[in-house]
Amino acid sequence: MVGTLIPQEVSSIGENHFSLIYIFPPMRFRNLQSILSWELKNHSVVPTHYTLWYTIMSKPEDMKVVKDCINITRSFCDLTHVWVNTTDMYVSRVVGFREKAELVSCMGSFFLESDRPLDPPEFEIVSFTNHISVNVKFQSVDPRILNEEELQFYLAFIEEHEGNSVKRHQPQITGNITENFNYVIDKLIPNTNYCVSVYFEPKDPRKINRSPLKCTLFQPRRESESSESATIGGIITLFLITAVFISTVMILKRIGYICLRNDFPKVLNFRKLSVWVFPELPPLEKVATVEVIHINRKKKVWNYNYDDESDVENEAAPCVNSGGYTKHGLMGRLCPASTTSASLEDCSDHSAEEPYLPEPKGDAETPMAPGPGPWQSEGTSGGYQTRGTLQQDPTSEEDSDSTERSEGRIVFNVNLNSVCVRALEDDKDSEVTLMSPSRPEETVVLEDLNETESSLLVASEERTQLPFTDPSMECLRPQDAPSDQSDTSESDVDMGDGYIVRQVNLKKFN
Amino acid sequence: MTYRCLFRIALLLCFSATALSTSYSLLRFQQRRSINVCQKLLRQLPSTPQHCLEVRMHFQVPEEMKKAQKFRKEDAILVLYEMLQQIFGILTKDFSSTGWSETIIEDLLVELHGQMNHLEPIQKEIMQKENFTIGDSTVLHLKNYYFNLGQYLKSMEHNSCAWTIMKAEMLRNFSVLKRLTDYLLD
Repeated sequence: MVGTLIPQEVSSIGENHFSLIYIFPPMRFRNLQSILSWELKNHSVVPTHYTLWYTIMSKPEDMKVVKDCINITRSFCDLTHVWVNTTDMYVSRVVGFREKAELVSCMGSFFLESDRPLDPPEFEIVSFTNHISVNVKFQSVDPRILNEEELQFYLAFIEEHEGNSVKRHQPQITGNITENFNYVIDKLIPNTNYCVSVYFEPKDPRKINRSPLKCTLFQPRRESESSESATIGGIITLFLITAVFISTVMILKRIGYICLRNDFPKVLNFRKLSVWVFPELPPLEKVATVEVIHINRKKKVWNYNYDDESDVENEAAPCVNSGGYTKHGLMGRLCPASTTSASLEDCSDHSAEEPYLPEPKGDAETPMAPGPGPWQSEGTSGGYQTRGTLQQDPTSEEDSDSTERSEGRIVFNVNLNSVCVRALEDDKDSEVTLMSPSRPEETVVLEDLNETESSLLVASEERTQLPFTDPSMECLRPQDAPSDQSDTSESDVDMGDGYIVRQVNLKKFN
Repeated sequence: MTYRCLFRIALLLCFSATALSTSYSLLRFQQRRSINVCQKLLRQLPSTPQHCLEVRMHFQVPEEMKKAQKFRKEDAILVLYEMLQQIFGILTKDFSSTGWSETIIEDLLVELHGQMNHLEPIQKEIMQKENFTIGDSTVLHLKNYYFNLGQYLKSMEHNSCAWTIMKAEMLRNFSVLKRLTDYLLD
C-alpha cells in the first residue's frame, strides 16, 4: 500500500509485499478543511476498507481512532473538526484491511501550520488592446493563512499558455494583499489565444495546487475607440479639475482668504502718479483768526434803582439798563464829522485819524472769503458773516497797524436795532449817521469806551465804517414806542443800493 | 500665535505616533519573516516522530501563553525576548546523535540572534520602567518551562528521540512566537 504522506515521516508494515511511495500532495486542505487522503502505489493487493488513527506529539497520549473514518472504503478522511490545533504536531496512522486482515499500515506526522498548501484564489482575466489584465481575488483565501509573510513562503505564479509555450510570471505581492491584486501581461501576439492559471506555490515545489486555466483570445481593439474614450475621459477629468479649482478659488475669495479688498481712503491712494508729481493743494478753507482783546474798563455798575425818580434817567440811558440793552462801544475808523453821509468807502481813506482797527496778531494773511461782503450782500440769509475787527486798547501800539491788517478780522453779526450807537466824541449835538444794511439780521455791536467790560467790536472793511460823532447816544428799539424816546427822533432815508440811513438825533445821556 | 503653536504640536504628535506605529509594524514584519524562516529550517531537520511516541513528555507551556491576546505590547516584547533567548540556549546543546546539519543549526542560531537584536533595545527600555504586569510572572513560568526541556534532554542523554521531541516543541514555540508578534500591532 502506498500512503500519501509527508516524506521522511512515514512508515509502513508489510514491506516484503508492498512498497511505499509517497505521492504528493500528501494532504489537501481546502481552505479551512483538513482532509487527509492516501493512494496505493502497488495495486496488486487492494484493501477493502480503511481505518484512521491519530495522536499528538506534545502529550504522551494513545492513538485515537477517527470515528468518521472507521472501515471506510474511500481513500480520504475529513479531519477538519479533529485536527483543530494548528500549533501541534499530529501523527496519523492509516490501516488498510481486507475483510478482517490488516494488509497495510501507514503513519505520518503533520505540522498543520506549515504543511497545508493553499488553494488557488479566484481570478478574472480581461483582454485589452495590447495586454491582458489578471485580477486575482484574495478574498477567497482564508485570511488566517493569507498574509504577506505567508505568501513569502508560498509564491504565486501566473502561467501563460500560448499554444505549447508556458511562461511563468512571479508577481511581487507587497502591501495589503487581503484585497484584489491586479497583474498585467503585455507583449502579446494579436489574435492569439492565451490561458492563465493562478496558484500559490510553497517553497517545496511538490506542494503546488494550481487553479484551472482560464483562456481568452487576445484581439487588439480599434485605436479610435480607445482614443475616443480616452479623449472623452480626459475632457471630463479636465472639466472636473477646472470646476474644483474654480470653486476652491471662489470659496477662498468669498471667505476673504485671498484677494482681500483694500478700501483705502482716497487720500491713501498713492497709485496716481499725478498726485506725486503735481500734488493737489488742499481746498482752501475759510480761516478766521480771532484775537481776544482785553480792555480794562470800569466795571459797569448796574444801578438797580427801582425808584420812580430814576425812571427818567434810566430811560435816558436805556441802552444801559432798560430793556436789556448792553452798551458797547464801537471802535472803528471814524469818518470825520462832516462826512455824515459818507459811504463806507470813504471811510477807508482816513485810517490815520482813527484809533485803529486792530488786526489779530499773527494772522494777517487770512484769505478773504469769496462772495459778497457783509455790507454789500443783500441776498444772503441771516447770519452771514461780516468782516469785523476786534477792538483794541487805544493805548496799544498796534493802532497804527490796524488799517493795514483790516482784512484779518473776526466777523460777527450785530443787530443794529437792538443796540445803542453812540459816538465817541463829546459833541452832543452831532448827529450820527449810521449806515446799516437793510436786513434786520445784521447787527453791529458797539462798544462804550466808558464801559469796563471787554467786548468784541465788529467793524467792517473799508466799507463798513460806522461814522458817528457823538459818543452819547440814544438807544432805540424798533419795537419800543416812540413815545418813550420823546427826545429823539429818527428817520430812515433810503440811499439806494439797499442801504438805509438811519438818522438818529442823539442826546447826551449819562 | 497660540493656534500656530497648537497646530505644530499636533503635527508633532501625529508624526510621533506615526513613527512609533511604523517602528512596531517594521518590528512585527521582521519578526514574522524571521519566525517563518526558523520554522522552515526546523522542518529541514530530519526526524521520525512516530518512532518516539513512547518517550513523549508533556512539557506544560505557561497557561498565560494560551491567552497571549491579553498581553500588552510591553509584556509581549518581554515574553518574545525570553523565548528567543531560551530557544537559542537549547539549540546550542549537543545534537550530535541526531545527524542534523550543523549549517542548518547555525542558520537557526543566526536568525534567533537577529531577532533578539531587534528586540533588545525595546526590552531594556521596558525593564528600566519596572512596570510589569502579566509579563513579569509569565517570564518566570517560561524560565521554568525551558528548564524542564533542558532537563529532559539531559535525562535522555541528548538522543535522537529527545531531539525529535525538542523539534516538535520548538515548532510549537515558533507558532506561539508568531501569534505574539501579531499582538504587537494591536
